[in-house]
Amino acid sequence: MQTHFTAEQLRDPGIASANQVLRTCVHCGFCTATCPTFVLLGDELDSPRGRIYLIKDMLESGRPATEEVVRHVDRCLSCLSCMTTCPSGVNYMHLVDHARTYIEQTYQRPWHDRALRAVLGLVLPRPALMRAALLGARLAKPFAGLLPKTGQLPLRLRALLRLAPASLPPASHLDRPQDHKPVGPRRGRVALLAGCAQTVLDPAINAATVRLLTRLGIEVVVAKGAGCCGALAHHMGKHDPAMDAARANIAAWCAEMDGGGLDAVIINTSGCGTTVKDYGYMFRNEAPDWADRAARVSAIAMDITEYLVRIGYTPTRAAPPLTVAYHAACSLQHGQKVTDAPKSLLRQAGFKVAEPAEGHLCCGSAGTYNMLQPEISSQLRARKLGNLHATGADLIAAGNIGCMTQLAGDTLPVVHTIELLDWMAGGPQPERLATLVTA
Amino acid sequence: MMPVDEAGVVAAIQAATTPLRILGAGSKLPMLRPVQAPASLSTAGLTGITFYAPKELVLSARAGTPVADLVAATAAEGQHLIAEPPDWRRLLGTDAAGTLGGAVATNLSGPRRVAWGAMRDHVLGVRAVNGSGEVIRSGGRVLKNVTGLDLCKLLSGSHGTLAVMTEITLKVLPAPERRATLVLKGLAPVEAVAALAAALGSPYAVSAAAYLPATEAARIPALAWLGESVTLARLEDFAPSVAYRSDRLRADLASFGSAEMLDDAASLAAWADIGDVVPLIGQGDALWRVSVRPSLGPAVLAAAQAAFPAQAFLDWGGGLVWIAGPATVAAHDAVAAAATAAGGVWTLMRAPEALRAAVAVVPPEPAALARIGRQVKAAFDPRGLLNPGRIVAGV
Amino acid sequence: MIEQPEPKTDVLAKRDAIVAGLRHLLPASGVIAEPLRLKPYETDGLSAYRQVPLAVVLPETTEQVAAVMAFCHAQGVRVVPRGAGTSLSGGALPMADAVVLGLMRMNRILDIDYADRCAVVQAGVTNIGITQAVAQRQFFYAPDPSSQLACMIGGNVNMNSGGAHCLRYGVTANNLLGLKIVTVEGEILDIGGAYLDAAGYDWLGLLTGSEGQLAIVTEVTVRILRSPEGARAMLAAFTSNEIAGACVDSIIASGIIPVALEFMDRPAIHACEAFAHAGYPLDAEAMLIIEVEGSTAEQDDLLARIRDICAQHAPISLEVAKTAEQSLAIWKGRKGAFGAVGRISPDYLCMDGTIPTSQLPAVLRRIGEMSASYGLQVANIFHAGDGNLHPLIMFDANSAESFHKAEAFGADILRLCVEVGGCLTGEHGVGVEKRDLMGVQFTEIELDQQRRVKSAFDPGWLLNANKVFPLTAALRA
Repeated sequence: MQTHFTAEQLRDPGIASANQVLRTCVHCGFCTATCPTFVLLGDELDSPRGRIYLIKDMLESGRPATEEVVRHVDRCLSCLSCMTTCPSGVNYMHLVDHARTYIEQTYQRPWHDRALRAVLGLVLPRPALMRAALLGARLAKPFAGLLPKTGQLPLRLRALLRLAPASLPPASHLDRPQDHKPVGPRRGRVALLAGCAQTVLDPAINAATVRLLTRLGIEVVVAKGAGCCGALAHHMGKHDPAMDAARANIAAWCAEMDGGGLDAVIINTSGCGTTVKDYGYMFRNEAPDWADRAARVSAIAMDITEYLVRIGYTPTRAAPPLTVAYHAACSLQHGQKVTDAPKSLLRQAGFKVAEPAEGHLCCGSAGTYNMLQPEISSQLRARKLGNLHATGADLIAAGNIGCMTQLAGDTLPVVHTIELLDWMAGGPQPERLATLVTA
Repeated sequence: MMPVDEAGVVAAIQAATTPLRILGAGSKLPMLRPVQAPASLSTAGLTGITFYAPKELVLSARAGTPVADLVAATAAEGQHLIAEPPDWRRLLGTDAAGTLGGAVATNLSGPRRVAWGAMRDHVLGVRAVNGSGEVIRSGGRVLKNVTGLDLCKLLSGSHGTLAVMTEITLKVLPAPERRATLVLKGLAPVEAVAALAAALGSPYAVSAAAYLPATEAARIPALAWLGESVTLARLEDFAPSVAYRSDRLRADLASFGSAEMLDDAASLAAWADIGDVVPLIGQGDALWRVSVRPSLGPAVLAAAQAAFPAQAFLDWGGGLVWIAGPATVAAHDAVAAAATAAGGVWTLMRAPEALRAAVAVVPPEPAALARIGRQVKAAFDPRGLLNPGRIVAGV
Repeated sequence: MIEQPEPKTDVLAKRDAIVAGLRHLLPASGVIAEPLRLKPYETDGLSAYRQVPLAVVLPETTEQVAAVMAFCHAQGVRVVPRGAGTSLSGGALPMADAVVLGLMRMNRILDIDYADRCAVVQAGVTNIGITQAVAQRQFFYAPDPSSQLACMIGGNVNMNSGGAHCLRYGVTANNLLGLKIVTVEGEILDIGGAYLDAAGYDWLGLLTGSEGQLAIVTEVTVRILRSPEGARAMLAAFTSNEIAGACVDSIIASGIIPVALEFMDRPAIHACEAFAHAGYPLDAEAMLIIEVEGSTAEQDDLLARIRDICAQHAPISLEVAKTAEQSLAIWKGRKGAFGAVGRISPDYLCMDGTIPTSQLPAVLRRIGEMSASYGLQVANIFHAGDGNLHPLIMFDANSAESFHKAEAFGADILRLCVEVGGCLTGEHGVGVEKRDLMGVQFTEIELDQQRRVKSAFDPGWLLNANKVFPLTAALRA
């Protein structure tokens, strides 16, 4: 597609990268069909191609972002379904990330929007704050009905309260920096991204990961200094906090790579995985040593299921006759193109695996999207749950805490893929399945 | 007038000051409304195949070329006319051999239509002379062409009311190596159409599907020996495919009863007679052709039979209902009502002129569409010369 | 840029009133009028041509479409219908004084009837959406344009879209039963229905492929077909275009009509292979993808016959897929061909002429010569069974000179197609792209005849007036 940047504009490395992405796009429109917001809203402006056009126009003009553009870019889930569809290889992710940063830098959001984003950016990556916030939300839950039924802010607050779990599990000591030694002879050594929100919402995921890996002979390091991957800030266009978080992780893992050595950085929250795998790109214009280190980390970042396929997984017990509806998290299927590994592992574990119709469509979780765009998010959730129910499955498995939280609260229990794999290889039965199977 | 070339057609139309009855050989004159015109213009003098490239699946011929000549020419190359245009001389009581122009202008197709499309689906190009005596072409000599408005389709089935076609290009296809027909006996119409739906909805590329009550079936020599109502599904392809699919289809339709199979020769004979509407030759003074949603064919059949002593059968999987009966307004109204109730359309195919002039021979169109129709007619034939009143009185 | 009809000054002058009027007819999100938000609607799949419209409306029902049409008719406002905006001929290019009527919100499947083998869908349902809706019962909707993932059935009807399998199953026109349309005056009409062959004029046939010149299509009744038991492809590669062409002739002459018969020339093979890694032979000058259907035994039988025919044409490789997966791999490169070219060149124009198949080698030779003289690369993809040729001309849209060369090159190719007995467009439609070449294929008398047919539906030329027909003095004034 034709672009109209001046030579001066193109000297900005961010613009130069954006220009490259835009030039790859041939405006064929294939992406529109698989974009969740286009499917729901039926407006070119809420399709990837429309957003690309809005972003192109905004960047070419060099003027500050306007409300119209922000509205449509904000509605993007960053599910990256468009990237799976695109025949021309347009890197929409890098373009929309750039646009979000540009918006954050040039656009003044309404006060309540700014406030909510600041709070989310502050709280979610910090487990202690998050735990306190969720306790508060739990107390506020009964009062959700008092909020007005319309208006952006009340709708968002309702969404926050809906998403807050009714009870919180205690924090797990496993998530603190330490070396989990393998059971038996050591076959490998990996770092686990313990994560932030996930450690508060569902510590069982990391517990299952550590149990299964150590049982398979893998030493699992929770590296000192590593924390939030930066994705939450990144997707809100908060460039500096995102880079700070990423830098801390890069430092921590490079220290391990140079120390005890690492075969992989393991991520069991695919939303984070997509970002960690993109560190190399995020740091491409930083000082060369940081760019190199970031690229090294990205090169060994793996989703837990990718790693299990690599090292081999064998169940140790017969699976109960359960059909698992596999919900493909967008960050896993579109962001990282990991599509077969989770399903084939679940089958190896002995489960019958069902795949819902419209598997390519997002469930509406998308990081902070379900809090910032509650209307679209809840439509997508309902659509996804409808498709999951239609499979006739007994439970849902997903590889991303965001999706799990989004889909929770329905009649179908939701567990992490790794919990099922761990269970069939000697781990405990996931608590959420207690009503489904009596051990 | 029977010009021998396109220039003659142009001259005839340019010279005309009063309406012209447009025809080919005149084999289908007994259908629709009678045209009141002081003179006739026939394309029967424009004959001959002008282009035939079997490897490109394309054949062009002048409009007056007898369909039989095209059947022979394509057969010589192992090919056929896809829509299986029927021969209705005996049905309509004429002795003129139907022409290509007539077959296209009436868009009347045989049994294969249900699976492979109508005449109009295979018209790749036409040359025609409009009512102002201008030569217009649409389409061309290639299989895929979306350049400009598709006047080929508009002229197909326009019964000579818009322009006089002088040359037509068709898509043709290789003729099948082998045919076979599965026959279920003794089914009632609703059951029969369910069986045909299963056959047409099978993966075996059924190329024709018809139902004939016992009386009507008895009039087709290839079917008379069966002695009952017959439900027929035809397979056409390479011999191994036909053998394989015959077995599979028989198994798939087992719940409708055990099936007989007609071999290649019997299939050819039976379907030619069905296409030519042999069971209704000489039956009743009026003949209707009703096109409906296939599953509603039996309802139309029953409604006609309830209204008058109807002779009838179903083709196109139930979607084409042929009905013969008395040439009365009451019978016509009954057929029209049944077709309308089933959401379909009727065509009065044969009747004494008095009835044809008195009733709507095809369903009247909504006012807005009728207005567009008159404007389209004027767009081709501003002087109203060509076959006025053939389809609708006054147009 | 392409010449547009002269905008109506009175319409531009009352823009605000028109937008206000439209807002009365539709929900708030259904009317777009802010300049920044109109921008993405300025173009479609042919992004070289652009024009920001007066407004965009996104109705959700046929009644809303009728209300918009009645309003625009009363106000003398031009209307440009739009589906998914995937047209490669600029079929949805707006005009400055026109309302773009987007049918994307009308994306519901209304009825599926397996016994009568038809489905009723709204115009904004995607082509593949129909097949997906009936796939669980092993049915499908046959026409399969390359953009089938995104393109919408309303657009398919208006462009009479084809696809790789139309040699066997026909194009859109051959797979329709009925339409619901809205006239330019805002009247709702049903054309045809769940039955075959209307009794009067073939409005269905005329409307199909009419490129939005005659009416707005809001609902479509399509035929659905039972899927074959299976399908498998084979790949045959040859040392010259002539040999590959002769092989196609031999296959047809043998009485076999493959469900698909696709031809790719050397540059196309290389582009697709780089993208899809489908294992295409890079030393070949020409390659055929040939697909057959039926049971496994039937496929084996047909593929064996075709392999024997190919073997007589000195192929440099012959690969018969043994499984459905291998078959998919063979198709993968071809299906992604346009995008693949997008990876090796920033921009391309996709031509769409049809030629008599016997002319293929000569036409490819001439295109090769033109490519050298224009200094622009071209990759050719050809629906060999039906003669539909897709030269992809690669250029750089950021260079005006490169674009103008590509346009001229494309026009030369299309003139060549007509010269050898073919036509300007086989399946993409005339749109704006080929509008000014219509005189190459048609006489002025013939164009006037077509224009009069349009006038019969749309006396004021409000519908899509910038497309299909070379602009008349009346539109320029």
